Amino acid sequence: MRQLPVTYEMMKSTTRDLYEWSLKKIPEDSKVALRSALDAETEDAPKKALGFMLRSAERAETEDTLLCSDSGVPTYSVKIGTGVEFGGDIKQAIVDGFADLVETIEPPILKFVTNPLTGERSYRGKDMPIVSWDIISGADYIDVTCAPKALGGGRWAALEIFSYPTLDEIEGWIMDMVVRAGSQHCPPVTIGIGIGGSFDHAAKLAKQQTLRPFGTPNPEPILADMEKRLLEAVNSTGFGPMGTGGVTTALGVHIDYASGHGFTPVAIAFNCWINRRTRAKIYNSGEVERIE
Amino acid sequence: MSEYRLKTPLDREDIDKLRIGDVVYLDGEIITTAGFPTHQRIMDAIARSEEPPINLKGAVFLHMGSCNIDTPDGVVTEYVNPTTSTRFNAFMPTLVRHFGFTAVGGKGGMDQSCVDALQETGCVYFSMIGGAAPLLTEGVKRLVETGWDDLITQFRLSRFEVENFGPLMVAIDAHGHSRYADLTKAATDKLSEIKRKLREGRQASTS
Ligand code: SF4
Repeated sequence: MRQLPVTYEMMKSTTRDLYEWSLKKIPEDSKVALRSALDAETEDAPKKALGFMLRSAERAETEDTLLCSDSGVPTYSVKIGTGVEFGGDIKQAIVDGFADLVETIEPPILKFVTNPLTGERSYRGKDMPIVSWDIISGADYIDVTCAPKALGGGRWAALEIFSYPTLDEIEGWIMDMVVRAGSQHCPPVTIGIGIGGSFDHAAKLAKQQTLRPFGTPNPEPILADMEKRLLEAVNSTGFGPMGTGGVTTALGVHIDYASGHGFTPVAIAFNCWINRRTRAKIYNSGEVERIE
Repeated sequence: MSEYRLKTPLDREDIDKLRIGDVVYLDGEIITTAGFPTHQRIMDAIARSEEPPINLKGAVFLHMGSCNIDTPDGVVTEYVNPTTSTRFNAFMPTLVRHFGFTAVGGKGGMDQSCVDALQETGCVYFSMIGGAAPLLTEGVKRLVETGWDDLITQFRLSRFEVENFGPLMVAIDAHGHSRYADLTKAATDKLSEIKRKLREGRQASTS
């Protein structure tokens, strides 16, 4: 196929659309997970809460409307294939894509971009959208994930730096953070955990792990075990869907690690039940493939 | 667990019968704001013995944002949804006592000083589901008035007429019970046991 550059327009419209989709539709694996949570709950209150959630998700999707009034702030993870050719300023395209979304989305979104120094709220701001950039060796596409972050889902993330911690210490701290968050983050949540590397890298791993679909196996056996164990532990805390009690506080615990020094950062991040997460690939051929 | 359809203004009998876990749908009026500055302004008004721009006496006062659009046919409310109540903990006991709110609500609950204020004055806390905008918005009939319009939309004091507005889940009742306090206590009490089980699980998988 003839090689075409990835244009400014393609990047702008894709990042814009990914944000809109994330506000109106929950991922398919979330629907499946919420339905099986509904089956697993025995008490009336959590069953009702999960039922309301599923109904809300269905309504938002069919009526093309927002699930939640807090549309969050735009965050993107952009992975660029080394074979990609640029046909314009794809960095500016993300900024302009968000501006375009603000002007054109129906129903409109409210102002959430906040200047932390003045408290002023707007639709734009320094470093907004927040983008993390990566390179994919050999690929001829750009892989873009959009995961807007709102207050409930963003507020309870945490990071601690240990020195030569045991797994016991790490898991203990994770459980402390889970109890600290309680039901403030609109559970059932997805929990992402990053262990090791450096301060910033552990946080990035944790964030990326919140975006891993449910049911995808962890290739590292120690972590696969840990994920299973922690999911059970988190769900035995009893906070339940939206704090109604019950056995579903998290739908998944996803962990990644990186080698580092003897100081070991451990980061934890949460995605609320609506699990805003959309993804597309923009190919050099000019094709845009919506993945979710 | 019961389900009720209640009409505002709520009376003491309505409030007293509500128990944690009950689901309520409201007819009548609610007042909403999602703003920290709004709460500060209400506190200032109280301190200066002034009235806020909307009468809050006996109100159903909800921590909730709303998106309202001016159209040629009047204001259309596109959507409403709760916001986190815990960040208003410092204000709510004063507000509840001063205005005699009959119900408050939002998501995430409120602290013990608020639970005490609710019990003292006879007021309940409704938990709404974050991410249930389509369900909650359906019950909103009309934006009746707003106050402090210099603030951004979701921060304004907004009075809505509602019909069958919900689901609202009773999470703090007027008798001193809080689902949040109960769940946090239960989880904290269980925490060392949970950690012990994690340790056992780890040992089993490594041996
Ligand atoms: S945490 Fe998620 S569901 Fe809850 S209010 Fe925020 S965006 Fe909405």
